[in-house]
Amino acid sequence: MNAIEVNNVSKSYGKVKALDDVSFTVGKGEVFGLIGPDGAGKTSLYRILCTLLLPEGGTAKVDGFDTVSQMTDIRRRVGYMPGKFSLYQDLTVQENLEFFATLFGTTVDEGYDSIKAIYSQIERFKDRKAGALSGGMKQKLALSCALVHQPSVLFLDEPTTGVDPVSRKEFWDMLGDLKDRNITIVASTPYLDEVRRCERVAFLDRGKIRGIGTPDDILTRFADVFNPPGIEHDKTGEVKDENVIEVEHLVKAFGSFHAVDDISFTVKRGEIFGFLGANGAGKTTAMHMLTGLNQPTSGTGRVVGYDIRTEHEQIKKHIGYMSQRFSLYEDLTVAENIRLFAGIYGMDDKEIARKTDELLERLQFTEHKNTLVASLPLGWKQKLAFSVSIFHEPGIVFLDEPTGGVDPATRRQFWELIYEAAGRGITVFVTTHYMDEAEYCDRISIMVDGKIKAMGSPAELKQKFNQPDMDHVFTYLARQATRSSD
Amino acid sequence: MTLKYLIQKEFTQIRRNAFLPKLIIVFPIMIMCVMPWVMNMEVKNIKVAVVDNDRSTLSQQLVHSIEASNYFIFKGQQPTYRDALQEIEKSRADVVMVIPQDYSRELANGNQPQVLIAANAVNGTKGSIGNAYLTQIVTAHVNPDAATLQAKVSTLFLYNKNMNYKLFMIPALFAIVMMLMTGFLPALNIVGEKEAGTIEQINVTPVSKWAFILAKLIPYWIIALFVITVCLLLAWAVYGITSAGPIALVYLLVLLLALFWSSFGLMISNYSDTMQQAIFVMWFFVVMMLLLSGLFTPTRSMPSWAYATTYVNPMSYFVEAIRTVFIRGGGLSSIWHQVLALLGIGSVMACWAVFSYKKNS
Amino acid sequence: MKQFHSFVIKEAKHILRDKRTMLILFGMPLVLMLLFGFAITTDVKNVRTVVVTSSMDHLTQQAVDRLSVSEYFDIVSVVATPRDAERLIRGQKADMAIVFAADFASKRSGVQFIVDGADPNMAQQWTNYATGVMLNPAGGTVNSKMLYNPQMKSAYNFVPAIMGMLLMLVCAMMTSISIVREKEKGTMEVLLVSPVKPLMIIIAKAIPYLVLAFVILIIILLMARFVLGVPLAGSLVWILVISVIYILLALSLGLLISNVAQTQLVALLLSAMVLLVPIVMLSGMLFPVESMPMVLQWISAVIPPRYYIEAMRKLMIMGVGIKEVAREVLILLGMLALLMTLALAKFNKRLE
Repeated sequence: MNAIEVNNVSKSYGKVKALDDVSFTVGKGEVFGLIGPDGAGKTSLYRILCTLLLPEGGTAKVDGFDTVSQMTDIRRRVGYMPGKFSLYQDLTVQENLEFFATLFGTTVDEGYDSIKAIYSQIERFKDRKAGALSGGMKQKLALSCALVHQPSVLFLDEPTTGVDPVSRKEFWDMLGDLKDRNITIVASTPYLDEVRRCERVAFLDRGKIRGIGTPDDILTRFADVFNPPGIEHDKTGEVKDENVIEVEHLVKAFGSFHAVDDISFTVKRGEIFGFLGANGAGKTTAMHMLTGLNQPTSGTGRVVGYDIRTEHEQIKKHIGYMSQRFSLYEDLTVAENIRLFAGIYGMDDKEIARKTDELLERLQFTEHKNTLVASLPLGWKQKLAFSVSIFHEPGIVFLDEPTGGVDPATRRQFWELIYEAAGRGITVFVTTHYMDEAEYCDRISIMVDGKIKAMGSPAELKQKFNQPDMDHVFTYLARQATRSSD
Repeated sequence: MTLKYLIQKEFTQIRRNAFLPKLIIVFPIMIMCVMPWVMNMEVKNIKVAVVDNDRSTLSQQLVHSIEASNYFIFKGQQPTYRDALQEIEKSRADVVMVIPQDYSRELANGNQPQVLIAANAVNGTKGSIGNAYLTQIVTAHVNPDAATLQAKVSTLFLYNKNMNYKLFMIPALFAIVMMLMTGFLPALNIVGEKEAGTIEQINVTPVSKWAFILAKLIPYWIIALFVITVCLLLAWAVYGITSAGPIALVYLLVLLLALFWSSFGLMISNYSDTMQQAIFVMWFFVVMMLLLSGLFTPTRSMPSWAYATTYVNPMSYFVEAIRTVFIRGGGLSSIWHQVLALLGIGSVMACWAVFSYKKNS
Repeated sequence: MKQFHSFVIKEAKHILRDKRTMLILFGMPLVLMLLFGFAITTDVKNVRTVVVTSSMDHLTQQAVDRLSVSEYFDIVSVVATPRDAERLIRGQKADMAIVFAADFASKRSGVQFIVDGADPNMAQQWTNYATGVMLNPAGGTVNSKMLYNPQMKSAYNFVPAIMGMLLMLVCAMMTSISIVREKEKGTMEVLLVSPVKPLMIIIAKAIPYLVLAFVILIIILLMARFVLGVPLAGSLVWILVISVIYILLALSLGLLISNVAQTQLVALLLSAMVLLVPIVMLSGMLFPVESMPMVLQWISAVIPPRYYIEAMRKLMIMGVGIKEVAREVLILLGMLALLMTLALAKFNKRLE
């Protein structure tokens, strides 16, 4: 018997067809990948399978039960982790976990084995409120909550967004264990290495299934989306021997906890500097100090020649910033957002109008000039947010996980923009969890437990640690971590 | 210069919101059209039940004079006091008058008969006013001399000659509308940006605290001007009520009040983590300031500790000043004291709003 | 059962951890009770009075003395002409003036009150009191008795109103927001997909608020009795029973709102506009229903707090038996049945 049978399912919101005649089956105990760009209809499909939405046409069966008429039976058998899943911020880590365990009729002790690999990383913070965890930590806790029970079918909607590579590997190892216990898993992901760990994948695009097959089959068939040719990094931008960032012995402590523990480094003008580290290693905290959002506890730092402790408002004039959380105003149009931020940096109307047209033309985005940002796909929003953050030609731009949750083709386009900016002499300071992106950087630092453990060009690092690629370098260093969270 | 772009952004966001533009237009209209009818503490239709133990011509005369008064609704006679009290318990009567057995005999003997008036005083105002009027009728009946004495007393009501309760309440409604429109909306504003995450993006730009906060305040001042214009027009069109004093002073007072409320709202917003918190805290202060402002009840009736709070309560200054201008036709010379107080409190609050906004922590 | 238990605990933690909201929730009844009990009164007191007389003779002096010893009036100044008095009133230095004619002593006539009529109710009362003080020195023939509230405290009138408002606010507003918050954050999806029955989710969510409302109710009753000295004249059991009916009604309303609202902001505004404003304005809490035009009286007829407040006023203050409030209780029960059925029938077991 198939675990999931979907026959000709359709669903639309107003005029938009979210799902158009979708059919597929998933065998019992299979690990099935559901991949596709943002807005392809994945979330609607998950919701229909979880009995949260009613399909307009077609039927779907989960574990042999009909999603429309046998709602209660299905809900007793499935587990679901929505993409937009946030925990109870005001409950502690342990309370969250215990609550979800009880909710699914089990206990933390009973389910401990199946979540150990991930939960052990955050277990020492079990008395901390979930709201005080970093983004990646929250995701890990959410994963623990979703896996603490053992349903017969598990739906995971982009579960690893924002999670560092090492933890992602551990997570998929855990899914492998579940499979051994004959649990069916349907998961979606933007990471290619995760796609490869599925047995079969379906590629969903604009509400239609474009293809189903083995991961390799699908990835080659739709290579333009998943496997774009790497970017040639022709050294157009010149790295000058002039430090834009100088940091010495920087520390940020929250109580007795040192989120950033004595880091020192320099970044040169025109460089693309990759700032890597596991979740909770202290990347975002360090970045907040450099951009003048937080005061350091001790140590000194200069950004574009200004002291981060005393001259933070001066720094803000000369930097661009794109945060982890998407940062444009959703209720303003594309042009209005550009106008606002350009205006804040002191451009006049004429200049704004001219440069806006130029920018939109370059992005081939002119037709969306008056579209509300809220209605743009995620990839477009990110490109736009980046373009806005460098619209005032800052000396340096800080990017905090700018490409989370988008497909490889879109990420590639994004990096083309980064190279273009670097070519114009803008220094780029970027954090990422994609190791292929790490290879694109001129120089990289890897943070572990609040300290910088390694620094150098990708080639140097690979050589130094004797590893074949950045992924292995990262894994090698991150596994040495003793603490697991901020 | 950056101010222009920030203000434009605030207006665009208000305009785009599915709900706010409707609220800004409909809310004052609703308040002005409905509230003057509701906020009517006029006491009328007091229901009277009579127990006549005398049953003489004289006592019947007294009963008739009550029946004839258009102030009371006569609810008939009851055989005993106990029956009459039951009428009160069933809410069929508000006041009971008991005429003693020897009413006409005492009167004939030149003595003062004792008439009992028992009023349901759960609602104190209603009870005491009912009691006062009934007392007047009885006194006039018992003691014709007193009646002539009463006739010699004349009363001149200044400013509100027709004793129109709406005229009294309409300027108070301005205060309520301002409070809700320019207080609650800003309270949700910054905390909303916190929840959306956009505040972080603003914090890494070189925009100054003053520009950012001012850009959030100014739209609400403009909304205040728009709303008060609507209110004034409605007061004139619906009730035929216009300001007795200079209209420019009304606008001045409204702007000063908007300065306070918008700054106060932003200040609360700066300290709040969630919208729910912001609303609750705001609500708490709004209720206190409103109740202690003298808007519903005279501040002078309060005990001295409560009266002391009116020295720091901008609502109280506003209500007093707007009533002086709007009803009593006072000029700047009568309200300069309140204007200065409002300006002072408003400026302090605006500074607080700016300094409580942290770009760097 | 265990699931249910942990649900209730979780919900209670949400409430307890939000310190500021908690502070407001418990601070509000305290402050309201104190304000209404001690600060907010419509008593005639400290009326700033100007005496206008050209010759202060013996009888005038006597009348003035009588005024100034009464707690109602403060004589702030004595002026010669009515014009001066008017100027004082316009400048907000005085509230009323009493003009004695020049021949007041000889004929005992010719008294005129000049009153600031801006507030008609108070103006009326001031004249009533002044007439009383000046012209009825002997006390007269009338023996007045203020039933139920001999000291004419406003608190007697407002305590039931505060109960009606706060219980509705805590139950309806807080419940609806807490359900909508889960929708907004995406946790509702997980709860719905879990084996727990949707109905149980709702009941578990409601219980902490029910308890909270009950605690607030007890605080109000205790304060009313021991701080404000309001007698709880009626049967305490019935007061509590009717309050529970009312709390359930408020919870159903909150549930209904949470079905309509998709975001916390909408839930907040809906509760504020659909609940708070009508309760304060139309339930007879501050403004007597019978003075309103017919249309508004009809609207107020469907507002549940109106009946609750009415019933509480009768039960608590007047101390009538349950028979006298049967009408109100029946109406509340009817509304409860209707709203609860509607809320449960409309509760979304799916996302649409």
